[in-house]
Amino acid sequence: MAIVASGISLAFDIELRVIMDDVQSVRQHLLDKLKSLEEKKTILRAPELRDLYNKVKDQPEDKRAEFGQAINNLKKELEDLVGQSSDSNSVLSDIDVTAPMDINSPIPQLIPTENGTTHPITQETEKIAEIFYRMGFEVSESREIDDDYHMFTSLNFPENHPARDDYDTFITEEGLIAPAHTSTMQNRIISARKHLLEEGENIAVLAMDRVFRNEDLDARHEHTFTQHEGILVGKDITVGNLVATLKLFFTTYYEEDIEVKITPFYFPFTEPSFEFSLSCPFCSDGEDCRVCSGERWIEMLGCGMIHPNVLRMAGVDPIKYSGFAWGGGVERLVMIKHNIEDIRHFNSGKLKFLRQFK
Amino acid sequence: MKVSLNIAQELSNVDLKSLPTEDLVKLATERLGGIEGFDDLSKHYEGIVVAKVVSCEKHPNADKLSLCKIDDGGKTGDVDRDEAGHVQVVCGAPNVREGILVAWIPPKSVVPSSYGEKELFVLEARDLRGEISNGMIASPRELGINSDHDGILEITDDVAPGASFVSLYKLDDVIIDIENKMFTHRPDCFGQLGVARELAGIQGLKFESPDWYKNNIPFNKGSSEVIKGLDVTIDSPEICPRYMAIAFDNVTIEPSPVWLQSDLNRLGVRPINNVVDITNYIMLTTAQPLHAFDFDKVAKDGRAEIIVRKPKSGEKLTLLDGKVIEPHSESTLICNQDGPIALGGVMGGGNSEIDENTKRIVLECATFDMYNIRKTSMTHGLFTDAVTRFNKGQPAEQLPPVLQKTIQMIEEVVGAQPIGDIVDCYPTKNSPQKVDVSVDFINRRLGSKLSSKDIGIMLTNVEFEVKSQDDYLSVIVPFWRTDIEIAEDIVEEVGRLYGFNNLPIELPVRTIKPVSPTARLALKSKIRQILSRAGANEVLNYSFVHGNLLNKVGQKPEDSYALRNALSPDLQFYRQTLTPSILDLVHKNVKSGFDEFALFEINKSHNKIHDDGSSDLPGELNMISLVYTDKKSTKSAYYNARRYLDFLAERLGYTLVYSPIEKDPGYPVTAPFDFKRSALVTVKEVDVFLGIVGEFKQNVASSMKLPSATAGFEIGLDHLLEAQKRGSLSKYKPLSKYPSSEQDLTLKVPVNSDFTDIEVVLRDFLDSSKYEFKLQPLSIFSKEGSDHKNISFRIELTSQTHTLTTDEVSGIIDELAETADKKLNAQRV
Repeated sequence: MAIVASGISLAFDIELRVIMDDVQSVRQHLLDKLKSLEEKKTILRAPELRDLYNKVKDQPEDKRAEFGQAINNLKKELEDLVGQSSDSNSVLSDIDVTAPMDINSPIPQLIPTENGTTHPITQETEKIAEIFYRMGFEVSESREIDDDYHMFTSLNFPENHPARDDYDTFITEEGLIAPAHTSTMQNRIISARKHLLEEGENIAVLAMDRVFRNEDLDARHEHTFTQHEGILVGKDITVGNLVATLKLFFTTYYEEDIEVKITPFYFPFTEPSFEFSLSCPFCSDGEDCRVCSGERWIEMLGCGMIHPNVLRMAGVDPIKYSGFAWGGGVERLVMIKHNIEDIRHFNSGKLKFLRQFK
Repeated sequence: MKVSLNIAQELSNVDLKSLPTEDLVKLATERLGGIEGFDDLSKHYEGIVVAKVVSCEKHPNADKLSLCKIDDGGKTGDVDRDEAGHVQVVCGAPNVREGILVAWIPPKSVVPSSYGEKELFVLEARDLRGEISNGMIASPRELGINSDHDGILEITDDVAPGASFVSLYKLDDVIIDIENKMFTHRPDCFGQLGVARELAGIQGLKFESPDWYKNNIPFNKGSSEVIKGLDVTIDSPEICPRYMAIAFDNVTIEPSPVWLQSDLNRLGVRPINNVVDITNYIMLTTAQPLHAFDFDKVAKDGRAEIIVRKPKSGEKLTLLDGKVIEPHSESTLICNQDGPIALGGVMGGGNSEIDENTKRIVLECATFDMYNIRKTSMTHGLFTDAVTRFNKGQPAEQLPPVLQKTIQMIEEVVGAQPIGDIVDCYPTKNSPQKVDVSVDFINRRLGSKLSSKDIGIMLTNVEFEVKSQDDYLSVIVPFWRTDIEIAEDIVEEVGRLYGFNNLPIELPVRTIKPVSPTARLALKSKIRQILSRAGANEVLNYSFVHGNLLNKVGQKPEDSYALRNALSPDLQFYRQTLTPSILDLVHKNVKSGFDEFALFEINKSHNKIHDDGSSDLPGELNMISLVYTDKKSTKSAYYNARRYLDFLAERLGYTLVYSPIEKDPGYPVTAPFDFKRSALVTVKEVDVFLGIVGEFKQNVASSMKLPSATAGFEIGLDHLLEAQKRGSLSKYKPLSKYPSSEQDLTLKVPVNSDFTDIEVVLRDFLDSSKYEFKLQPLSIFSKEGSDHKNISFRIELTSQTHTLTTDEVSGIIDELAETADKKLNAQRV
């Protein structure tokens, strides 16, 4: 049907252009056409106008100047009309913004509810937060613009320490930083809650928010992503506590029993530091698994016992208290869960993507 | 960081390779650090044998080829041989000749250099210009020894034909690749020796460093009259704690022996010449970088005076790679009497480089401040193997043994002799680091139950000195562990050597204190649910935008915090508000077939105009923005956007007041909005300002290709929180026992009068009545061209005391109409 319909309109156009041999009829036609155009400026490129110019040479010699002038006037008129509509509001009438509806219109309908969605990342952060609330963790947001002290110094990264090389940070003209990890909140989180320790409570907080790395984009690398970072400080907090806490979280998250292991790693803000892996919840032995590619283990996050210098800088005595922290990516969890092939979809704003996450 | 198990084994007193390679790698992953992979090289050399060229003639049909008979000692089966048992091979190398020993790759064997390429190159017996060639005689490149492909490898070692090639140059090796990141704090592990020690320790084996490393081998100083002297002065000891040097005479620069080239190649370093190869070899073994200068280029009148200092202003240096830099003011320069000859710890200078004519050298063995080295490396973009090691902090105590080992190697391999004595400039001596820690502390951090004895054994296995008294351990740290300073460092060592995965796991104990989401997180979650229920789609946009986007919506780029190092211009500026990013999504979604949709985002924005003033840092504005569009509609979308905002407010328990805007407010948040078709929004109940709702300016709409029916709102999340804080939301009214009655009222008013004026009059009247009421707008009607409009309301009345009669209701509505007439001159229709 579509082909036939456009065929008809094309034929109709040609017919019109044949008939319109004088400037006046073209003018009327173009003015009508202008009303229905979404992109008003395209009228200046209308084929009808071009055809008129082409006809100049067919005019008797003594009429050519007059004919040309008439087309120029028409062009000028159209330019004025289009220019007018793009610079201010005179084309649009005022409306009564205090009314809930327009004149002669009903109160507008909302879009049907079945089209509505929340973002897959926020769905996941809410789910993760939910589990940690039950485990006794508060949830904190992070900052998107911060200073060197919180991003590095308070986390035991001395100036010019080579560990800084592992973080490609965005820096503003003022020397401020778009944090590359949610640990930028660690000093604030701990120091604001150190009274809890005196009261015999643990400090247990999950900082979860956006972080930034100055990297080139591809299907697996984003410069903007979401981190969940756990912090727990208390009396006699051990490496075993860290592993048990993370294991409990992932068991709850995947709703299945999983094995976990830690391997040594290096971060300046934890001592010792680990990489935390879990047995792949998506494969059983012998299968060629899309998630772990047959490794049977997935590296999930970095973690460790909070470095005594970090505790000290937050006003906590590292002899009396100890703690652990971890930081992991949310996008990774979501991509694995839904088998999403390209990390760039998350910030693409494509409805074709977003509306799949009911 | 590549580790050769063969080289590690050579440096070790215990058997590192008793475990199968897979198990050793697994253990190293769990107790040493992330391993990227390993490569068993012995497989690459299967079948390759040492052979003697017994005859070599010109190929009858090809000028550049030779027809050779080789003797492989009869070791290779399934190959054609002549009566003498020799094998025919065609060879194209210019250096092939009778009598030499070569590496022969027989048919069905693989050319080693083809490992790691797409396809393995498997040889066969084939016809080359009418003569059969059985396999090939290989070049060093084909054998994976160096990049030389100008001729075949000549084996000069004392070995019989038929010997297996693989064992000749330690090629039956396993190369393990460990992530550099693992060793950011481990200066020792950037050498084979350091990793060998750890491989022993994680297997519970007691490691002892080679004699030459732990106990300085005495050095026999040379006596020579050739030079007048070598002097070292350190001007700035804070950037160069120790500098040792020695000069050599009778240097001949030539290629290294094959074994040395092979060792370097396996560790991923390209062989260059004997002197450079030795300094590299020592660096790869001990992690201590060395540098060799051409003595005659450094010396003036036979005397080399080396000065370590910071640059003078304007001083320039041409580096080995030809790059000219003006070193930053804090950098470390190695200078002679005239000026800089090297950028200390980073790269040598072009003016002192050794070359094929070099006869005498100065060997530098020094240590530099790690932070200073990193700063220089980052400032000038210089990343060398020396930087990788120096920026981890190499110990000063390491220099004497390393230098003496190097001298020994130069004597043996290059045949050069030291001139005079070693010069050692070491202004401030370090004393050994000692860490006191209790067994209880270690167990409390690890959650373990290790004894003092267990801990002692694990630490002494990797050459810590441990003295224990009751529960207390006094740990003397070996000089190469510059990373160990505090008790927690010992905890890590013990946990790692014991195996972190052997530790008992147990959940932390906590009180029953409940936790709740913060008000802001709870509100965000609620808003997401409300707006998605209203058919809108949540989006997340980048926090940074291109300057073009700011310009398109009329925001001034100078009001944004700008990034100075973004890789892409798309990420030039922090976005000032959320709406522009969402507007940017409208056209592309319309183009992909969506006619009507509403996108919303809850996120932070930053600009220099609005600041929450909560700290020294820029304010973070938590905003909610929604954009509605309908490609097919010709109506004013303002009312759609407002409908969304009303829906949201109502679900949150508020009523909103919409105020017309007199002139463009000129804030970042209002910039895209056409103020004549927008309203400022306030929460009625608690009088808190929220933000703006409206349509967009025509130039915004056209530059962003928005459909004409597009409108949106942007309000402050923190403003909504403020409203929540101020007011109670409960609006419950007790149910009446009596039925409600409704009646409609239509009022005729001038077409340009504000709806809200009428509504307020009606509401005030009803508020002061004794009835409960609902006032619901029904329609606004106006004939085209008319100067009046009719506004209809439905009014529902309920009494708590009696059933309302029709007359009573009519009476009230009449009164209401009269009031409207009196106050607004609105006529009842």
